[in-house]
Amino acid sequence: MISRPTVARGCKLALRAQSLAQATQRRSVASIGTPGSFEATEIAGLKVASKDAGGPTTRLAIVAKAGTRYQPLPGLTVGLEGFAFKNTQKRSALRIVRESELLGAQLSARHTREALVIQADFLRSDLPYFLELLAEVSSQTKYLTYEFHEQVEKVLHLKQARISSLDLALDSVHSVAFHTGLGEPLFPPSTTPLGPYLNEHTVADFAETVFNKSNIALVADGASQANLNKWTDTFFKSVPASSSSKLQLNTAASKYFGGEQRTARPGSSAYAIAFPGASLGDNKPEVSVLAALLGGETNIKWSTGFTLLSKAASNSFGVQAYAHNHAYSDAGLLTIAISGPASGVKTTAEEAVKALKAVAEGSASKEDLTKAIAKAKFDLLSASETTGTGIVATGAQLIRGGAPLDVAAAVKNLESVSADKLKAAAKTLLEGKASVAAVGDLHVLPYAEDLGLKV
Amino acid sequence: MSLAPYLATRPWLRNLLKPVASWYANAASYRQLGLHYDDLISEENEDVQRALKRLTPKESYDRVFRLRRATQLSLQQKILPREAWTKPQDDVAYVSQLLAAVEAEAKEREDLDTIVPLKAH
Repeated sequence: MISRPTVARGCKLALRAQSLAQATQRRSVASIGTPGSFEATEIAGLKVASKDAGGPTTRLAIVAKAGTRYQPLPGLTVGLEGFAFKNTQKRSALRIVRESELLGAQLSARHTREALVIQADFLRSDLPYFLELLAEVSSQTKYLTYEFHEQVEKVLHLKQARISSLDLALDSVHSVAFHTGLGEPLFPPSTTPLGPYLNEHTVADFAETVFNKSNIALVADGASQANLNKWTDTFFKSVPASSSSKLQLNTAASKYFGGEQRTARPGSSAYAIAFPGASLGDNKPEVSVLAALLGGETNIKWSTGFTLLSKAASNSFGVQAYAHNHAYSDAGLLTIAISGPASGVKTTAEEAVKALKAVAEGSASKEDLTKAIAKAKFDLLSASETTGTGIVATGAQLIRGGAPLDVAAAVKNLESVSADKLKAAAKTLLEGKASVAAVGDLHVLPYAEDLGLKV
Repeated sequence: MSLAPYLATRPWLRNLLKPVASWYANAASYRQLGLHYDDLISEENEDVQRALKRLTPKESYDRVFRLRRATQLSLQQKILPREAWTKPQDDVAYVSQLLAAVEAEAKEREDLDTIVPLKAH
């Protein structure tokens, strides 16, 4: 005879085995999708990218094709950004802020050279509220005269006062590299005559051009597909399918020119050296690895790190240098940005060019290459995982009609970079025309030719 | 307390009282000094100051001109010649609507500042 406890124990074991099997099954289903990649769909004519890690918070953003390169008149992108979350037909700016505070959410608006991002970060259960809010902000903002004078314009002046030498140098280097389009400054400096172009009427016209379904993408990180489908359909009905505004986006293709620009400015100095880099669609992993090898920002405390730029800057007190590949939809720019006291900036710039030349001659050790690939991989994965960057890049890809970045494939590409490829990439850069911008004490800062660069 | 909304919904009563109102507006004699009704709103008030800042430059200039002309006339114990009096159709509420918006904003802020959130769970 079998005793009762034995039977019960057997049942329990059997049940546990079953539930374990279910758990493993669930896990394997969850790992089928590439980790960290957005999936693109279309809901009611609107491009939507979403991923859901099942976390308690959601990041939801409208990414519009309205960055500085697309603005038809100077300052419009900044103006439109300033008008985000202001009075709408349905409720006031104050109410929007207070309601979001009550829900514990954060609202933000920012722009890059290609995209305008209107974002809300909130608790998962509040998705319908914020979808409605974003739809309302994009299609029903009032663009009032007094709001422009009392708020948008004042904030604009404050932001202009905060433009640093480094920002200015990066803007200058973009401007000599691309002239118009991508060459437009990310933030118009206070010397730009905005008067005839930027007012509430032009911003309203620009908004009409920008906020239509063919020109925006909705990016959600941490929202379930079903909910997103249901509520996007409901709330984004009011967003028009195409624009009828008299302003047209400036969609001319980018062309690389190269050159040099020098601007005198009191305070700290900055120097930017740029070469044609890799665009979002390009398959040029060696450029990312080269940027990581040049690096600059150390990830480890109390050490200059292995990167070439941090070594170059280590002898000059108070100087920061970093390399970055600015990837845009149809062009890229690999920049080396140096800022700090003028004399230090000068030495660091000389050292940086020397280091780049050494890479072109194949001096990068195997160990450094491994480290650089690891760093490039980490940068890519962490950018696509954490907030901000991943959302903006995904949105930018969607609005130009591409697919979101496949993170797994990109990581595999990075691993395939060899020493020869890296050497060839550095060589091509140095043989082509460089773009150089110096901002600050021009008595000290060198000309591009003194550094041995072609401009 | 205002009877205006009550009258607005009753056209017959409004039409009946309209001549009386027009007579009163003329008898108040601000039009003889070339002023608009909204020029008489007391300025010593934060809300009104804010509303005045939201006027267009043209409106603001005209307002100051009317006020200075009226002060001068009052000083000289004169009124304008009849053809220069403010015409009833020109006497529009150019500040009142801005003031109403400012007051609504202030009220909304007050309401939201004293809000009591009720938890649903």
